[in-house]
Amino acid sequence: MLPFSIELKPGLPITEQVIFAVKKAVVAGRLKPGTAFPSVRLLSQELRINPNTAHKITATLVAEGVLITTPAVGSVVAEQAAGDRAAKAALLDDELERLVVEAKNLGLGLDEVQTELAAHWKRLGRKYPRTEH
Amino acid sequence: MNIIETQNLSHRYWRTEALRDLTLAVPTGSVFALLGANGAGKTTAIKVLMNLLRPSAGSARVLGVESSRLGERELAQIGYVSENQELPLWMTVRQLLDYCRPFYPTWDAGLEAKLLRQFDLPPDRRLKELSRGMLMKAALLSSLAYRPKLLVLDEPFSGLDPVVRDDFVSGLLETSRLGDWTVLVSSHDIEEVERLADQIALIEAGHLRFSESTESLLGRFRRVEVQMEGLAGEAGLPATWLGWRCDGGRASFVDSGYQRAATEAACRDRFPAASIQAHPMTLREIFIALTRAGRKQPQGVTS
Repeated sequence: MLPFSIELKPGLPITEQVIFAVKKAVVAGRLKPGTAFPSVRLLSQELRINPNTAHKITATLVAEGVLITTPAVGSVVAEQAAGDRAAKAALLDDELERLVVEAKNLGLGLDEVQTELAAHWKRLGRKYPRTEH
Repeated sequence: MNIIETQNLSHRYWRTEALRDLTLAVPTGSVFALLGANGAGKTTAIKVLMNLLRPSAGSARVLGVESSRLGERELAQIGYVSENQELPLWMTVRQLLDYCRPFYPTWDAGLEAKLLRQFDLPPDRRLKELSRGMLMKAALLSSLAYRPKLLVLDEPFSGLDPVVRDDFVSGLLETSRLGDWTVLVSSHDIEEVERLADQIALIEAGHLRFSESTESLLGRFRRVEVQMEGLAGEAGLPATWLGWRCDGGRASFVDSGYQRAATEAACRDRFPAASIQAHPMTLREIFIALTRAGRKQPQGVTS
């Protein structure tokens, strides 16, 4: 089992999709600092991807400071810069863009979208309480 | 370094030209998918590489050796599984493995046992009594157990059910070694290949249409939808736009050279008030778009 959740979509680069899923899990606190990250082999077998791709994913995550490699254990999740709210917000970029495009296609204004967004926020507030890490 | 290289490879069956000036390089350590419609020349290319056919012209080198001179030393490092493989059907699975083992110095008995279990193969059943899926798994097992440097798979998935396909991929990944493991797989089952392949080549009528990394291929193709005023014909559209369709205020096409800013600018130049949406495409969709475009304009768009 992989310690993060992902559903690979065809048509998009696998590397980007996995890196995004890992960052999301880290930022949301589901992958805690110090947790062992799967080996290239396990990553490749679990996701049914080419080992080269799995290697590239791990190498990129190490280069970006999300993971650190230790000779004995392999890769572990790095201590993240505390309270980086900008990094969390950046993870929503794609969803926000899609929302704005759809709203514009429908001819809705920013205020109307904000009203709808606030209504959804309120409705789901109890189900998904805000978590701080 | 390239584990396979061909130069202007051609092959004729009587008057039919199955391969035409095929120049191809398979980098060592890659999983290389050779795609193409039925009859495009994939199997012929592989047969030439495996020295089962002689080229009419051009050259092919495998593991640094001219394919017509492949000997015991090279063949012991190559695994070859083909859709229409001839197997000694009178043998049991165990007899097949006992027969193959002595040919390969690198045969790994532990891996053999593991794959036998994983593939759920009945060791004492004769090959002729096996289902097609079981038979293909037996063939794959006998080619994986010596951990070949180069694995050549010709339409390995065709006619196999989803569970067997999954077993097949697991078995493949079981033998993978980073950097020192090359797979050449020909297939028209594109979905099976999409996650595995890091290089994709498309063959059409015996000729190479393109060969590039999966990432760059997926990056440069988008299905673009445009909402605009009025109608627009096909004349004067960029050469990278394939399959143009326009129907009352909506147009769609496949951009084979997509770059967000450039594509959007090219749309706005033509349709000033357009709203533009670009969707990523699966390998299957790309393959279909290219094949259709190839039918329409023989030269096609190469990159």
